Amino acid sequence: MGKVDTEHRALCHALFDAIEREDLEGMARCYAPGMTLWFNVTGQEVSGDDTIAAQAAGREMQRRRTYDDRIVNTFDEGFIVQYTLNIVLHDGSRRSLWACTVAEVHDGLIVKLSEYLDSARFGIPKRARAAAS
Amino acid sequence: MVEGEIRELCETFFDAYQDRRVDILDRVLADDCIIWHNVFGRETTKHDNLSKFHDSYRGQRRRTYDDRIVDTFHDGFVIRYQLHGVQNTGHKGSLWICIVARVREGRITRIDEYMDSSKFGAWAGMDGGGT
Repeated sequence: MGKVDTEHRALCHALFDAIEREDLEGMARCYAPGMTLWFNVTGQEVSGDDTIAAQAAGREMQRRRTYDDRIVNTFDEGFIVQYTLNIVLHDGSRRSLWACTVAEVHDGLIVKLSEYLDSARFGIPKRARAAAS
Repeated sequence: MVEGEIRELCETFFDAYQDRRVDILDRVLADDCIIWHNVFGRETTKHDNLSKFHDSYRGQRRRTYDDRIVDTFHDGFVIRYQLHGVQNTGHKGSLWICIVARVREGRITRIDEYMDSSKFGAWAGMDGGGT
């Protein structure tokens, strides 16, 4: 499990680092041909190309996004990462939410991602949420 | 714990939730177990959760934890599932949920639960939605 564990961890960080850097080619290098992403908000699967296109479109709405406080655990065929997603919009306002993603990995590439988050958090500015909690 | 033991603990926990067996939940949760939820961002205790267990079922006829996909790692498991509920009104709703759990010596020591709260209305039949 040691080698697999290290490889899956490296793949996990390669993907999320690429998303942070808006490195679309880096994202694509993590994906197996035909990979899919399933999202708990829509209940639907989209293709790897769609996720990369969505990332490119996100640049128009967001100045920056970081995947912080990553907790990674691996298993034989994949990994689970829990993280805090921090987003800065172009107007300077911030959003923050907690999410987790389960990845299924074959031959060193991601074949499926399943993402779970609370979409209600997209609309809550970080300052307002802190005051409410 | 080996993989088989962790998987069995996971299934025992969710079967107990489904069957409303608080006595089994008390057995499989460590006394210092922490439950954290991405909707609230707060940690609660085992006592908090078990003491409110029956209240959490108020208005509901049945819950089932279906389509469970379990993966284990050296000190825990991740489970993805669909929670189906039937309200006393007959309304049916469902939620997609993912839980990451830590285990130690045959018991669960931490639960991190992830779901989308924007679906709570449809789940409870409060917005005309549901499945």
